Amino acid sequence: MKFRNYLKDKISFSVIYFVMILMIFLLMMAFKIDISLSLVILLILIVTYIIIILLDYFRKKNFYAKLFSNISLLDKSYLVLEMLNEPCFYEGRLLYQALYDINKSMCENVNFYKTSMNDFKEYIEMWIHEVKIPISSLVLMLHNHKNKNDKRILEQVKRIENYVEQVLYYARSEDANKDYLIKETSLAKVIHEVALKNKDDLLEQNINLQVNNVEFKVYTDSKWLEFIINQIINNSIKYKKDDGSSFIRIEAYDEKERITLAIIDNGIGVPLSDIPKVFDKTFTGENGRIKHQSTGMGLFIVKNLCEKLGHQITLESVKDEYTKVNITFNKHKFYDVVK
Amino acid sequence: MKKILIIEDEETISKELAEALKNAGYNPLILENFKNALEEIKIYNPDLILLDINIPYMNGEILLQNLRKTSNIPVIMVTSRKTEADELISITYGADDYITKPYNPSILLLRINNIFRRLNEFNDTIKYKDIIVNLSKCCIIKGNLEILLTKNEILILTYFLSHREVIVTRDELMTTLWNNNLYINDNALTVNISRLRSKLREVGLENAIETRKGYGYYLR
Repeated sequence: MKFRNYLKDKISFSVIYFVMILMIFLLMMAFKIDISLSLVILLILIVTYIIIILLDYFRKKNFYAKLFSNISLLDKSYLVLEMLNEPCFYEGRLLYQALYDINKSMCENVNFYKTSMNDFKEYIEMWIHEVKIPISSLVLMLHNHKNKNDKRILEQVKRIENYVEQVLYYARSEDANKDYLIKETSLAKVIHEVALKNKDDLLEQNINLQVNNVEFKVYTDSKWLEFIINQIINNSIKYKKDDGSSFIRIEAYDEKERITLAIIDNGIGVPLSDIPKVFDKTFTGENGRIKHQSTGMGLFIVKNLCEKLGHQITLESVKDEYTKVNITFNKHKFYDVVK
Repeated sequence: MKKILIIEDEETISKELAEALKNAGYNPLILENFKNALEEIKIYNPDLILLDINIPYMNGEILLQNLRKTSNIPVIMVTSRKTEADELISITYGADDYITKPYNPSILLLRINNIFRRLNEFNDTIKYKDIIVNLSKCCIIKGNLEILLTKNEILILTYFLSHREVIVTRDELMTTLWNNNLYINDNALTVNISRLRSKLREVGLENAIETRKGYGYYLR
């Protein structure tokens, strides 16, 4: 609250006041009152006015200055009322009351959406468990009644399964709640699960899977990591080159402070201009336009999950040559102590 | 024949699962009365239980906990819930394995097979006709003749030996190999089988592995 601005605000009052003083002065002159007495009265009126203005200014300034400094200090500025006392002047009290009511109604509003979001999320999770039942039935039926369309149907069922998984992990990654459990996990075991899951696809598409040197223990949620690696492998399969010598190589390196898992393929790669955006939501890029099956959600969810688990993920690629995805797991002394 | 009890409230799944188990040479039973699940299990007296978590009356995890008080029957938990915590709870309550829906049926069969093998204190040597297969030394022996097999070959041979009198598909062999962290491709499997054939020929077993075109292989 600046004094100059405060004065500007009071300009109309001041003008009326000074016109009144002027009139009083002129009246006193007209009635031939002693000039020195008139001057003293004039002085008293002016000084009183200045005192009133200053008093009012500082009273308000105290309140507003505190209000604004608190707003800028808080990262959740809507909580500012919790830190203020009710002001001692009338307008301030009105403002305080108004802010209080607005805040309350906004909180109710936010809560309404929070509950409905949670309900929706719960429903999604439940729905996913439900929809997995018919998918399981389909897979079993296909296994039992083999005919020549089998592979094609199974492929489509697997696509459904994959999309369903994406929804599940999207719902989980968007939520602030802790849906994961970090414990010591064997990297080799998680990779093994993903390999088995994609066995048919890899064989069908004639992609060689090479797994080297992954016998490490990392701290992560194995189910989430399985999803993450699965998405990356799925991308490698989707964007393979059609020249029949495709491979996916998975390897890990132990670097003092961290363990890095690298998933490398010799697929069509990502154009340089698209690389910074591959983890963005709904980004499909040039490759997405070629393959038409891209939703742009897979890597976005992967990035989100990695952030929650505290792993770093990076992608490097040269178009038409290779794509390499690195996931870095921090080693932490804390874990050694807990162990 | 091993009895496998399916505890699953979804009828389509339990029926299809029963059929898959039957085709794989097991005797599947389906639990129908969930109310007295524990007593029913005792009556059926199965060799292994496939237990779903979401079953009526009693949660699968609780059922498992109660079952473990009196019995050591191997249990594989089957569920569509997929969190680390669920798996941890099941394993602590005494499940032998945990598999999530939708699963690949060949992998489920493999896991079942693995549990039975573990239980039987799997023999180190298997006799087949007039040869001995030594698993720990990775070789086949006939008299004084000893022929070394690679890891791939021994896995393929043991799978054949535990599935005699039925046709073994390439997919089953592939699943076995991949399940042992050997991620080989189609060509490599063909090469491995022909190597195994020639090694069997060396010990006098001509045409031991027959090809059934369009189906798979058959060990005579």
